Parts: sequence; C-alpha cells; structure tokens
Amino acid sequence: MPMVEQARYVELTEVSKVYRDGTAEAIEAVSSVSFTVPLGQFVAVLGPSGCGKSTLLMMVGGLEALTAGRIAIGGKPMTGPRDSIGIMFQDATLLPWKSALDNVLFPIRVLKRPQDAYRDTARQLLERVGLDGFMHKKPHELSGGMRQRVAICRALVYDPELLLMDEPFSALDAITRDEMNELLLDLWQQYTKTALFVTHSIREAVFLADRVLVMTRRPATIVEDLTIPFARPRSMSIGESREFNEICGHLRERIEESHHRERGQRAEPSVARRELVG
Amino acid sequence: MTAEYQATSRIAVAPARLPRRAVPASQHLRRLRPVILPVLTGGAVLLVWQLLVAALRIPAVILPPPVEIAQELWRVLPLLLRHAVPTTLDSLMAFFAATALGVGLAITITYSPFLRDMLYPNLVFFQLIPKIALAPLFVVWLGISSESRVAFAAFVSFFPIVISAAVGFANIEASALRLCRSLTASEWQCFLMVRFPFALPAIFSGMKVAMTMAIIGVIIGEFISAKAGLGFYILYASSRMETAVIFAALLVLCIIGVTLFGAVALAEGLVRRVYGRR
Repeated sequence: MPMVEQARYVELTEVSKVYRDGTAEAIEAVSSVSFTVPLGQFVAVLGPSGCGKSTLLMMVGGLEALTAGRIAIGGKPMTGPRDSIGIMFQDATLLPWKSALDNVLFPIRVLKRPQDAYRDTARQLLERVGLDGFMHKKPHELSGGMRQRVAICRALVYDPELLLMDEPFSALDAITRDEMNELLLDLWQQYTKTALFVTHSIREAVFLADRVLVMTRRPATIVEDLTIPFARPRSMSIGESREFNEICGHLRERIEESHHRERGQRAEPSVARRELVG
Repeated sequence: MTAEYQATSRIAVAPARLPRRAVPASQHLRRLRPVILPVLTGGAVLLVWQLLVAALRIPAVILPPPVEIAQELWRVLPLLLRHAVPTTLDSLMAFFAATALGVGLAITITYSPFLRDMLYPNLVFFQLIPKIALAPLFVVWLGISSESRVAFAAFVSFFPIVISAAVGFANIEASALRLCRSLTASEWQCFLMVRFPFALPAIFSGMKVAMTMAIIGVIIGEFISAKAGLGFYILYASSRMETAVIFAALLVLCIIGVTLFGAVALAEGLVRRVYGRR
C-alpha cells in the first residue's frame, strides 16, 4: 500500500446524512464530518446517544448510503460492504441455531472461503477469548459477555483490515464490560487492526483508543479530535491515574458544552466539574 | 436470633434429605395425568353414550351406541380402507401443492414491495371468505375428476401457508440481515442462510393448519362430486341410513387426519433439531 493511503487509510470528506421522514422536516443525523484514520490506529468516536455516531459508522461500513460527501477506505471509495471490513454490532447477532464455532465460521461460509482452512483459526480465536469449553454450545447457553466474545471472534476470523464496532459492550453490565474492554485491547494489540469504535462511555473511549473524536448532537459533527497519550500495552490500572481522569474531564466538558448550546445556554463548565478534574 | 438460627439450619439440612425420600404414588399419578386424564374422560363419555342410548331407547339410525359402531367398523373396515386411499392421496397432493405455491408466493411478496402492496391485502381479504362455498365452482371449472378436488383442497389450504410464511419472512431480526449484508452476502445467500431458517417455525405452523384444511377440502370435494373416497362413502352411507357406518368412516378419517398432522409435526421436530433456537 502506498504511503499516502497508509496515512489516510480511512478518509471521510464532508460526510452528511439527512433522513427525510415523509412530510416531516428533514433530520440531519450526520453533518459534514471529515477525518482520516491512518492504518493501524484505534479511533473512538465518542458522543451522546442519538448524535448520529452509529449512522456514521454504518456509512463507513457501507451499510448506509451517504447523503453528501465521500468515504474512501484504502484509497478506494466506498460503494457498499466489503470483505476487508469486520463489524461488531450493539447486540452479538448470533444465529440462534448455530454453535459458537459455527457462528464464528459464518462469515467464511458467506464469503465462500474453504471452511476447513479456517476452522483452526476459529478455534484459536475462541480459545483466545476464553471460550475453549463452549465451542459447541448454542447462543442461548452462553451469557451476554460470552456472546459478544463470539461476535469478536466472528469479526476477526476472516482477517479484515478494518474493524468497526458499534457500542458493542453497551448492553453488558459494568463488570463484564470492563472485562471485555481488557480483552478487546489485548486482542487488538495482537492483531493490530485499524479500528473505529463508537461509544457513549468516556472512560471506555479513553481506555481503548489512540485517538478520541467527540461527536455532538447539534451540530451532528466532530467537535474535538484528541490524541490519547498512554503507551501500549495498557492495563486497567491506567484508569486510576490523574492524567486519565483529566482527559476524561476535558472530554466531558466538551460534550456538556454542546448540551448547553443545544438548550440555548452559554457554554460554561460547572465549578464542581472543574474541581473534580483538578 | 433463634429464628434466624433455625432458618439456616433448616436450609443446611434440606438438600441432604430430599433425594432420599421415596417419591409418593400420588406424585407418579400427577406426572401421568396428561395421558390418563384425557383417556379416562373419553372412556367416560363413551360409557355414558352407551348407557344413555340404551336407557332412552334412542334408535340406532339417530345415534348408534359405541359398541355397535365398533362392530360396524370391523365389518366394513376393508371397504373403508379402500376408500381411504384416494382421500389420503388427494389430501397429500393438495397439501404439497399448497405448501410449494404458498411459500413461493410468500417469497415473492417478501422481495417485491410492489407485489406485496398489490396482493397482500387481497390475500387477507380472501382468507376471510368462507372458501368452502366456492367448492361447486371448482366442479364447474375442472369437472368431477380427482384433479378438481385436489385443486379445491389446495386452494383452501394455500392461504394459511402464504400468510404465515410471509409473516415469518418479514419478522426476521433486522440485525441478522444487516450482519449478512455487511459480509457482502448476496440476497439469495441472506435468504438461504438467515431469512429462511428464521421463518421456519412460522412456515411450519402454517403447514400444520394447511394439512387439516387440505383434508377438509378433499372431503367437501368428495361430498360434491366423487365416486370414491371417504367423503363419498359417508354420503353414500347416510343415504342408506347406515348411521353406524358413518361414525366408523369418521373414525377412520380421524386417524388419517391425526397421522398426516403428526407427520408434519414430526418433520417440524426434525427440522427444529437443526434449526432450533434452543
């Protein structure tokens, strides 16, 4: 891959999405978003629910049409879904009649690649996420966290270059969520895919990403692009450091500012918040 | 304090004691209740029937006693079985035709919004017409051959299949389809791998209704036009005032109905083993 394409592996130019719902007024879900992601970077898109970040991600995945603008991945403009992209959705979306292993192999079947060649990869991935004993269990026999682990394996099994994650752990309880974050970081360090991770959790974004993009509701665009300085490999303990909490505080302020603007108030960070941030 | 102590000690002792206790006979009976109770009820009804007919001196032409029906059944059984053959075959043919056409039309409706808007309301409307009233029309159109009866029975049993299959195809989890599309699957792959398996329970519930409807359709057809078949034979026996023979024929018809319905249910069970949610 040429150097330019590596530096701008994912490239969004003035991307907009407008929903026209019958006669009702048009809703601008995404408004003129531009950013680039270099190859191998983990980027989190952080924003409140309903700010259009999921729509943005689906457009990058080729699952939603753009109203305006241009998305290119690896230098080629997106026209539809690609097999070089792996997607994790909010729910695990496992096929209920297939075992964990067969669910992981589902993309291989769809892509008409030889299943036998990938069976070992699938097994290794499942072992890697701690599901050794659950390969032949059906989804209803697995816990919510286990199902999302299967979904991670399914997104990785066909070795995509880009991993898109749409709040994949938002339905899990806090403890399981922390576990999954650690696991994801661990996996990502091993496979180093370029990753776009959509979340509404500030701590999750800061913990996982190299870079956090803050998206607001009005306007539905990127208002902050922050590089996260923590070295890798990271561990959960960085969450207790002062720097980590400062970054979180800063991001929270940016989100709150846009909230105030939405309500027609002047953006002014609260005193209490400033104290908390230190 | 004492109460608490007692409670804990009771809990600690209970698991050790429970398995040792012999299962009382009443518990066995309760477990067999779903089998014993209906059989006993049926037997009681037959007994009351037998006694009532004797006590009130009801003529056998009006209501023959069960014992006489059994005797008649034994006498005319070879004849009844011969007449059962066309009834069974016609019902099966009608059922398979209805299934193929029904599922086919449901697929068409699923993939063509235009055809869905055009046909679906009319199908629901037709579902409400007492279709049995149309039986004479089939004689006018297709004559008194077996094909005419099969066509009528297929027509009658076709509606439950289309409606339930269409609902099954439409009620698929949107996220599963999105997953499929994200993996660059073709529409046909999505259908085979996701939509069809998801719709199977709905299709089977339609098929079970259709199986009973097909038998009803064939019997109605035989009432009107046939020279053989159980429907014909029931009409023939009624013209000769052989009421016990009518009951005997009904019994054979019942057995055919239960067998064919059971076959569909069995097929459903086999399919569920592969595509079951659990």
